[in-house]
Amino acid sequence: MNRRQEERRAQYARYKRDVKTRGKPFFPYAMFHDTVMSLLVVCVIVALAVIWKYTASEGTTDADSGWLGKLYDEKADPGTTNFVPRPDWYFYFLFYLLRIFKWPDSVILGTVGIPTIAVLLLLALPFIDISPERRPLRRPVAMTAAVLTIITMGVLTYKGATAKEPLAAENLVLVPKWAQKQGFANNPTAVDGAKIFAQVGCMNCHTYEGAGSSNLGAPDLTTIGKTSNRGVAGFADYVSDPSKFGNNVMPHFQDLGADNLRKLGTFLQSSGTCSPKTDTCPPAGGP
Amino acid sequence: MAKQKPSRLDQLLYLLMYPLNWLEERTSAPGLSGIVGGVKYFLFRKVPGDISWGTTLGSAALTAFIVQAVTGVILAMYYKPDPNSAYESIRHITDDLWAGWLVRGMHRWGASVFIILLFLHMGRVFLYGAYKYPRELNWIIGVLILVLGMLEGFFGYLLPWDQTAYWATVVGVNLQATGPFVGPFLGDVLRGGHEIGPDTLARFYSLHMLVLPGALAGLILLHLWLVVRIGVTSPPWSPYEAGRPQPGPPPAERKGLVTPAPRNGRGAPVPRSVRKR
Repeated sequence: MNRRQEERRAQYARYKRDVKTRGKPFFPYAMFHDTVMSLLVVCVIVALAVIWKYTASEGTTDADSGWLGKLYDEKADPGTTNFVPRPDWYFYFLFYLLRIFKWPDSVILGTVGIPTIAVLLLLALPFIDISPERRPLRRPVAMTAAVLTIITMGVLTYKGATAKEPLAAENLVLVPKWAQKQGFANNPTAVDGAKIFAQVGCMNCHTYEGAGSSNLGAPDLTTIGKTSNRGVAGFADYVSDPSKFGNNVMPHFQDLGADNLRKLGTFLQSSGTCSPKTDTCPPAGGP
Repeated sequence: MAKQKPSRLDQLLYLLMYPLNWLEERTSAPGLSGIVGGVKYFLFRKVPGDISWGTTLGSAALTAFIVQAVTGVILAMYYKPDPNSAYESIRHITDDLWAGWLVRGMHRWGASVFIILLFLHMGRVFLYGAYKYPRELNWIIGVLILVLGMLEGFFGYLLPWDQTAYWATVVGVNLQATGPFVGPFLGDVLRGGHEIGPDTLARFYSLHMLVLPGALAGLILLHLWLVVRIGVTSPPWSPYEAGRPQPGPPPAERKGLVTPAPRNGRGAPVPRSVRKR
């Protein structure tokens, strides 16, 4: 048996002896503090519920929000894809990590890697920090690590809370600019596809010509027609059910319907393949 | 000594204590106390004399958990885990039922309070260095409680079946599906298929109200049992810190023959103003 083990056993024996000789009974001393604190917790929870209810008005629009947000949201509608996903506040830090780690190369780091490492580190803490010292000022490494962790979590949570998603109307204004820049202005099908792209929520995750947000770190689609080159039907097929192509991150969009999917496919195939100088695109079709 | 007839008071006390004695006799074993003895030990066990408000965060988190359990049971009596009626049942609870809005509001905001208290409690334990020997196992149980508590939040978030809930869950499950090897499989298991639908909602409901709360309750009991058994730590900066070697007290004091003079860590007498506790 080594000395450290002996020392800490002796320290714990001393603790038990000290508590026995100098301690106070749990009831009523400690229990008094616990009871007051518990009553306070219940009061805070009730107060939050009351403030939530009485500062918000009935209805589902943003204008009906009270101090603590809306009472109701619209009923879930899998058909509308123009909706910004928002987790509860204690997942904001994860939500923001996904903007830092880009899809597809490092997204695993943000979704699984870092959270797993964080939990493993927490579990391992008592085996990493094995010195018997408990006074904070004599544990500079542990205290620095704790402060840095708190700051990181705070900043990530704040960034996640304040991150803005572009609105469909704001994206729609950009469509003529894209058409001109990419050179598909003469192709009404592609322009229609661009409008769909701007409105159905693609830009919550993807960027295009510098607009949109990499919410989940999804790839930039400015030149997707050149880099991916699936052809109009190929893109329509892909967007309709990405999981068929091994992409389990992107939601399915078959609800858009075959016609809209074809327009969207034309737009995607035109991106990066048309000539802005002559406003012409290669004939539709695939490789 | 002549055998005396027990007094009225003794008879009354015997009658009053009879159920407790009955219970104690039927839950104890030789050398092991029963339920009544256990509760007595829990209530009258000694704790360090210098603990105060810092050590109430754990029981505060427990209170928040109990609030979640009670409001959750009430909500489960009216909630319908089916995509066609889930949203309407939440509206019914909020709009029509007496104090339904209060129960729903308490459950919703209690979740956040619970998570905040878990983090505060963890921060306090870290600050006090209370995860060190011999409390390592209880720290691990605490981390598991935190992880399960956050999963409760994740699975409960879908239940109102509104837009926020639905789309956050679409993304959340997709994120888990990015995991290596088991990721896509796990995604399908959670959804009950490739799409989020009736099966997903029933699955999330079952996890949220049966599996996770059961696991949490078990872990919390284990956590509490270890707290009672091992004991809570003194604040490490307290002059009375239990377990700290006190340099140079005379052996008579150690044996408790005379009342020890309060000393700080360096052996100097503590000023009278700090002594009061």
